Amino acid sequence: MSPGGDRREFRVAIVGAGIIGLFTAHHLARAGFGPIVVLDRGFLSNGASGRNGGGVRQQWETPETIRLARESVAAYRRFGAEFGYNIWFRQGGYLFLATDALELQGLDRIYAAVRAEGLGIRKLAPEEIPALVPGIRSEGVAGGTYLRQDGTLYPFPAIWALYESVRRAGVEVRLGTGVTGVLRSGDRVTGVTTDPGGELRAEWVVNAAGGWSGDLARRAGLEVANVATRHEILATEPLKRFLDPMVVRLRDGLYFSQTMRGEIVGGLTVRHPPGTGHGVPTSIRFLREMSRALTGLLPRLGPLGILRAWSGFYDDTPDGLPVIGEEERLRGFVEANGFGGHGFMLAPAASRRIAAVLLGERSDLDPARFGPGRFALPGRDHAPERVQLG
Amino acid sequence: MADPRPRTVEFRGRPLALPAGATLLAGLAERGLPQFQRSVRYHRPRAPFCGVGHCSQCLVRVNGVPNVRACRYEPAPGDRITTENAWPSPRWDLLGALDLVFGRGLDSLHGFRRPVWAMPLYHRVIRRLAGYGAPPTADPAPIAPPREIRTDAIVVGAGPAGRAAAARIRAAGRATLLVDRSPVTAPPADVGLLAGVTAAFLPPPGRDGEFRLAATRGREGMILRAPRVLLAPGGYDANLLFPGNDRPGVMTAEGAMALLDRRGNPPFRRALLVGGGARAMEMVDRFGAHVEAVVAPTQVHGTIAERAAELDIPVFPRTLLTAAHGRSRVRSALLRRRGGGETTRLSVDAIVLAHRRLPHVPLFFQVGARMEWRGSTGAYYPVLDDALATSVPGLFTAGESAGFVAPASAEASGIAAAEALLDRPARLADLPPRTAGEGPHELEGYYRELLAGRTGRGKLVACACEDVLLGEIDAAHRAGYRGIEVIKRYTSLGTGLCQGRYCVPDALLLLAQLESRPPSEVGFLTQRPPVLPTPLDAWASLPDEADPEAGP
Ligand SMILES: Cc1cc2nc3c(=O)[nH]c(=O)nc-3n(C[C@H](O)[C@H](O)[C@H](O)COP(=O)(O)OP(=O)(O)OC[C@H]3O[C@@H](n4cnc5c(N)ncnc54)[C@H](O)[C@@H]3O)c2cc1C
Ligand code: FES
Repeated sequence: MSPGGDRREFRVAIVGAGIIGLFTAHHLARAGFGPIVVLDRGFLSNGASGRNGGGVRQQWETPETIRLARESVAAYRRFGAEFGYNIWFRQGGYLFLATDALELQGLDRIYAAVRAEGLGIRKLAPEEIPALVPGIRSEGVAGGTYLRQDGTLYPFPAIWALYESVRRAGVEVRLGTGVTGVLRSGDRVTGVTTDPGGELRAEWVVNAAGGWSGDLARRAGLEVANVATRHEILATEPLKRFLDPMVVRLRDGLYFSQTMRGEIVGGLTVRHPPGTGHGVPTSIRFLREMSRALTGLLPRLGPLGILRAWSGFYDDTPDGLPVIGEEERLRGFVEANGFGGHGFMLAPAASRRIAAVLLGERSDLDPARFGPGRFALPGRDHAPERVQLG
Repeated sequence: MADPRPRTVEFRGRPLALPAGATLLAGLAERGLPQFQRSVRYHRPRAPFCGVGHCSQCLVRVNGVPNVRACRYEPAPGDRITTENAWPSPRWDLLGALDLVFGRGLDSLHGFRRPVWAMPLYHRVIRRLAGYGAPPTADPAPIAPPREIRTDAIVVGAGPAGRAAAARIRAAGRATLLVDRSPVTAPPADVGLLAGVTAAFLPPPGRDGEFRLAATRGREGMILRAPRVLLAPGGYDANLLFPGNDRPGVMTAEGAMALLDRRGNPPFRRALLVGGGARAMEMVDRFGAHVEAVVAPTQVHGTIAERAAELDIPVFPRTLLTAAHGRSRVRSALLRRRGGGETTRLSVDAIVLAHRRLPHVPLFFQVGARMEWRGSTGAYYPVLDDALATSVPGLFTAGESAGFVAPASAEASGIAAAEALLDRPARLADLPPRTAGEGPHELEGYYRELLAGRTGRGKLVACACEDVLLGEIDAAHRAGYRGIEVIKRYTSLGTGLCQGRYCVPDALLLLAQLESRPPSEVGFLTQRPPVLPTPLDAWASLPDEADPEAGP
């Protein structure tokens, strides 16, 4: 896993060896579209793809996102058989919890949209919930939705599998190689500059840099709406199995599940007051708020030890939807980012659409909803996907 | 005053009288080496190892709360204590068969992926096996109200360095708080004492220059605030990898001390003592008659050789441990001179590791202190300037974690660091020498030979908490993965209950051999808070607004 290789001309340069970059390389290589280089300045899995909660859900609000998620679930079910690594994708369900009438309305929207796509989502009354989450306090739980085919997976093996698979297919993966600039000639991209390495020529540059994709686009002279926000997460000591679903509470973004190894892994959205908490991977505020939220809902976990806490970046967009498509302002520069807290669960399907852009295939994604230019469009509603959780 | 009468608890369903004032571990050790659970993957027999509340080998369930460490727990009358992750008992466990069925290891990365329809079944079975204790079954009592203490200086660690430092700071008229996670006897006069309190998380100081240390005592949490912090958390006895190194009866020197019974008898009759330096010497003096032989993976110090000769204890310098045999207890050990030679078989019922002391470093990494690799122990230490300052303004350090190992030099460093903290002149040059920085750790050579001489049969457990085998590290390396961060994620080495304390230091040396580069380039695992597994309740009880303003 060294910078390796001395080829300097490629058809495609993908920036970022996270789940999005690697999956995209996989689809392109499969279509015989090459040569391809994947560039990453860190070690494999250093980005959000190696720091996330592994949640995979199909409970979304719009038909497009539900379809992307559904296709991804099917892909993750087959993943082990296809790629040789076991990602332990376990369909233990996702349980969304509402705290009041307003949040119940939010769940009603999700319920209706998911039902309309033919998935077996259920509405749960408060008294049905303890059967799914033993020990849960019913105070403050107004109801929920549950989809049994949602689940969790173990992210690392997915990365190993794709890394090995694309390399076998002839893709070069250069780790420890940062992209420092984007080369252009007029309104066309012509390559990138790297450190170490210098200049690389490429007809296509794919921006799959996760939390740093806004940086990269700006280096290419593009104005984009991506904002990187730090999200913290923790794992407890391992316990014997007691919890099957991923539990998500709308109120505060609390989410947690029990991994195959028995740890409770989860987080919640903490908003640091301006000037605090940034730059540190873990904050006392997060540990306190997360512990309060978790033990408030499941008091019996109180004596359980926190084993470790860490964090990563969400790459957020104003409307909560990813950005997929070629920049009109810079031909050949393809955005593949803005996945917020959902990049892993959408990756298999989203990366097909990303590859399709390069392959010149028709895509079922509406550019007005997913395209890079959409934030510049006048008078559009910037909040179609309201639930930005787990 | 503690009640001196024995306390009767219920242990695995039967009444049991335990001596007062002793930990559960020491109390049970009177009846022989206790065994509390099986290992997490293969259900291998395991017995207490570290004695200092880090490893995962003395977990019990107390009054419905899982994963309580027997070596840190003082039982109260009427406690209900059970063992977990073994059926019917830790000594006779049916699932122990897993160790034989998966004789070459269980490959959870590539195995169990076909056919797709069978996945839910695999999930069910594996999840049933995973984890240590069952979840708590009852809601606990409410937690204490939030607590915040402000003081002039916080000293972490009440060893010789920390005590000397706290006394000196206090003598200069500053309010001083001494924090230690063990019981502390006779603290220095007028120093505020928080004994039994874990310093769990020390983020970098805020823009106001103040440190906020999150600390826990049981389920109680507190924030300690001060403009100056002196870290003297000391060190611990390291692990060593050899075939059979996870067998019951293999323990660190600290583990052996934690298992002493009331009369001071160790939990073995004939031990193989591993080590050739000052720590091993201490153990020869402590356990003399019970030491069958001294074996050192590296050189043996002249003084220990002499002392051993006086006591008629054979000494094996620069020697490989090629095997430890015995299933539910070590029965024998095989030794072979490094570089080749004859194999010697020794009948022993314990192997006591005293070959290497490592500094406690997580707090330094959390607070963002610059660290440097010191080759002679093979560990990271905080960088100190000539005036004994760390790279973080207001943060000072002394004692073993700063590289001053012997008690006298630890104490001297404590006084000097206190002077520096008080803005008075202090000079690094006036102190005894620190742990040497140069030279590859001699253990690197040991590990080179261990790798070269492996027969490939049997399991060599590189990470006992997660049952990660040496073979898995090998396989990851062969598949092209490099660096400790990636190897950790690939194998899950270092992700267990001891947070990597007993596997990462050795893995660094191993990987250095495999990757043919210095251990410092193999990297260091990001030290993730908290310092020790500490209860959610304690974190939930922290006062609001404890986060500092971001530094400049
Ligand atoms: C705490 C947390 C929990 C999450 N939970 C979930 C969840 O439960 N389910 C879910 O689906 N998603 C979750 N996510 C989101 C998910 O992890 C991400 O959306 C997804 O991993 C993004 O993948 P990526 O490949 O786009 O980015 P990354 O994995 O971040 O990869 C980007 C890569 O680009 C590299 N890079 C950046 N800039 C450069 C440059 N200039 N030159 C070279 N290389 C560069 C980085 O080194 C990095 O390796 C979570 C995220 C976090 C942080
Ligand atoms: S030995 Fe404890 S985590 Fe590896």
